[in-house]
Amino acid sequence: MARNDLPNRNLSQHDVSRRGFLGSAALAGAASFAANMRVLDALQTPTLAAELKRQQKSVILLWLAGGASQLETWDPKPGRITGGPFRAISTDIPSVQISELLPKMAQRMKTTAIIRSLNTRNGDHGGGTILMETGRAKEAAVDYPDLGALIARELGRADSQVPDYVSLYSETEGRHKGGAGFLGARYAPMFLSDSMIPPNIRRLDSISETDHTDRAAFQRLLAKQFQDRHPRSVVSSHGMAYERVRGLMSSETLFDVSQEPQSARDFYGPTQFQEQCLIARRLVEAGVPFVKVARAWWDSHGQNFETHRELCADLDQGMSALLDDLGQRGLLENTLVLTFGEFGRTPQINPSLGRDHFANAWSASLSGCGIKGGAVYGKTDADGHTVVEGEAKAGDLFATIFSAVGIDPTKEYQVGARPIPIVDFGCKAIPEILA
Amino acid sequence: MLRQFCWMLMVMVVMHRCADFAELLSAELLPAETPVEQAIDHYIQLQLDTKQKQPASLADESTLIRRTTLDLAGRIATLSEAQAYVAATETDKRSKLIERLMASPDFAYHFRNSLEGLLSDGQRNSPGEWREYLLKAIREHRPWDQMFREMMTGNEEDVAIKPALTFLRSRARDLDQLTNDTSSLFFGVNVSCAKCHDHPLVDDWKQEHYFGMSSFFQRIYLTKTNLVAEKFSGEVKYKTTKGEEKLARIMFLTGTVVEPPAVAKTPEQIKEENDAVHRQTQDDKAGPPPKPDFSPRAKLVELALQADQNHFFARNAVNRIWALYFGRGLVHPLDQMHSANPSTHPELLDWLSRDLVAHQYDLQRLIRGIVSSQAYGRSSVWDSAGDPPGPEQFGLALVRPLSSRQYSLSLRLASLNPDTMTATSAPEWVNRRDEFERNSDDLANQFEVPGENFQISVDEALLFNNSARMWDEFVRDDGGMLIGSLKQKADQSAQIETAFWAILGRAAMPAERSACEDFLTQKAANPVLGLRQFVWSLLASPELRFNH
Repeated sequence: MARNDLPNRNLSQHDVSRRGFLGSAALAGAASFAANMRVLDALQTPTLAAELKRQQKSVILLWLAGGASQLETWDPKPGRITGGPFRAISTDIPSVQISELLPKMAQRMKTTAIIRSLNTRNGDHGGGTILMETGRAKEAAVDYPDLGALIARELGRADSQVPDYVSLYSETEGRHKGGAGFLGARYAPMFLSDSMIPPNIRRLDSISETDHTDRAAFQRLLAKQFQDRHPRSVVSSHGMAYERVRGLMSSETLFDVSQEPQSARDFYGPTQFQEQCLIARRLVEAGVPFVKVARAWWDSHGQNFETHRELCADLDQGMSALLDDLGQRGLLENTLVLTFGEFGRTPQINPSLGRDHFANAWSASLSGCGIKGGAVYGKTDADGHTVVEGEAKAGDLFATIFSAVGIDPTKEYQVGARPIPIVDFGCKAIPEILA
Repeated sequence: MLRQFCWMLMVMVVMHRCADFAELLSAELLPAETPVEQAIDHYIQLQLDTKQKQPASLADESTLIRRTTLDLAGRIATLSEAQAYVAATETDKRSKLIERLMASPDFAYHFRNSLEGLLSDGQRNSPGEWREYLLKAIREHRPWDQMFREMMTGNEEDVAIKPALTFLRSRARDLDQLTNDTSSLFFGVNVSCAKCHDHPLVDDWKQEHYFGMSSFFQRIYLTKTNLVAEKFSGEVKYKTTKGEEKLARIMFLTGTVVEPPAVAKTPEQIKEENDAVHRQTQDDKAGPPPKPDFSPRAKLVELALQADQNHFFARNAVNRIWALYFGRGLVHPLDQMHSANPSTHPELLDWLSRDLVAHQYDLQRLIRGIVSSQAYGRSSVWDSAGDPPGPEQFGLALVRPLSSRQYSLSLRLASLNPDTMTATSAPEWVNRRDEFERNSDDLANQFEVPGENFQISVDEALLFNNSARMWDEFVRDDGGMLIGSLKQKADQSAQIETAFWAILGRAAMPAERSACEDFLTQKAANPVLGLRQFVWSLLASPELRFNH
């Protein structure tokens, strides 16, 4: 067995529970890490209880890469010239109708709120992606963190045994790693692109378990001399990264759907996206605060309706199974599930029966934690060209997300000489859809 | 809310409105003929004395050669370089080391990599021709003002200069980026904050400074064949916070305005010009783009290098070069050179800037002076009583993460058989270095680019722990590798000594030696595997990860 083992290192899968995520050590860790990332707002001194409550929360973002059509999902316009061939169907909320391509979600609107009035103005894949990933437009002078990094920073634990930001992105179209920006690499995503297992999380076969742990202990022992003589945060980040390796390795099984009973796998469905929804649930259950499951490629410049028939079926099944499963496990009240992408799609249908990029009037959904189920916020005109009520920006959506999981949306970070607010200037949460 | 908003907008103030920069400074500064390193040490010590702080002692010799080699050659010193330096008895061995490194092929490669990183602002994968251009310019000892001129106004038809336009080419589609990056990287002034409104506290800093700077770039466009060209006309309009629409004047940071020549053109001429530009953007066979008589970006270069305006350009160059070797600027953050954020060592910054201008923007002269100073040679360890001097006092060396390429190169070098690494001063080393350079790309891309708030990522730790690549490429045991050489050593003690020198550039301390002996003995059942684990543990050490 390794010498110089730290406490809590010998972690079995059983111990990786979200309850193990809490504790005073967790708070101390988070606080020390926050030292050079000073929170300016003096009013915001969270009580222990609020901190504990916040730390149990998670966010799953189902990222609709390429831009899903709001008309074929959350804001149908049946019978209008822009409406396309699909119907709107009734839901379990009498006043709300959504596209018939989401029949299962139609029975689960009690858990879900819709924003139908996003006007994010940027209809370019690159710019739109950055805008919807970070909640603000790209700025030359500041490298902004994305939503996952912000959530990892706010809800994660500095010395966590599980990853705090996992990004699953199987398809190559629109693949974008995102990143932690000024928050630093500590909050960068564990990025799964080529495989369902994170890179380098599994021990090489040529090294035995004993050798691996002995080696880690020996490395730590040799490193100590240098660390002790150089008490600087950048040096300790090296130690912290290496300290996290064994814990992360033990979370490998979280990514293995074969650990689930067949009934659970059947419940989610066989597609890669549906399996990733199941992995997302496993991760959240183990205490991972942010999981992004990207599904591509919604960029239907041609054959919009065929594309959406296929992709919506996948989304409808995966998302409804995820919400049901989270609900049955008692996790939904602490887990926020989101759907959006870089933008929506044009109401007008082009000659290739496609819809093009459109950022002026589109929709996002929010389910579970902190959300007033069944609520619909904002309105577009009869054909869906413009927002006529409750216009919301990307930053408003972000503020709403933060509020829903108990993060103060007026919080600021100190970056060099500049205080940077967690959401863009002038943006605020939408109380109408918050529980 | 408004207050917060304004706070964020740290904006620079126009610094000096004086006739001649050098003239103003000469009176109260150390004589111009003072050696650069002496001027540095004089002003650093002055400041420490004022604050009643003691500096750290000088770094030991093995630390000093490691630091200097990393900074001048972009790699750790080899075992033979390190041991020879420590063993040498000449009193001028440090200056000889500096001369050797600055004359070696390594210097141009590493300084190229540093400039590339600086000018790409953290972005990776710059074009090969851009890297070649920088390398050639450094090898030729090209002055910094000339490089700036080439980057801003280089001739697309001159194959040797064309790649210099990469700076503009890669930003030409985004006027904000052109404006911000040029202001920040060449003048140390982040103007982005003045885009939305005037500075609320400083009267002479207005939106017109931001839009004045962007007016220098507003006419730049890319042709269909990706050439950087300029339009015949074009102005920047902006809205004030009161909603008033204004036409920007072409204005440098000093407040000097450039008036475009008043040329009367007929509507036909204007149409013809616009059509010619339009053709350039649409047709890849449109021929060389037309060159308007009036070029705002050429005016920018002219103004920025003019004797009464060049303090932005010179100070920024000094500050950014200083930061490369000290880990922070004399003004910090580097893009915040304004009166509300004064230099910690204003006279030193003035002296060095004056020296840079007087010596034709010779960056290598500045670098030589910096690395020759006592300040540069301070230890990074504080073992005296009391609190250490603050990082802004430069009395204690900062610990700096290696750049991703320095780290990649150093890992490779450390993992090789040290007996094969003895020819670093020979003429053919340039080929070897070139090969190292190319081979280090791929691994370098796996490491984060150091920046503000830098942290080592867990991805990096996982890569070291579990990738086949680290284990099979760097910890192999064949004859060409360090482990191959360790296998031939007579005993454990020789193995430990060699590995420490090859990887950490120093002798093992007694406690380390005994820990290593314990480990190797514990793994004696499979000694080669034991050696591999041992070498892995040293390669994964923070001591190799940082310049300290």
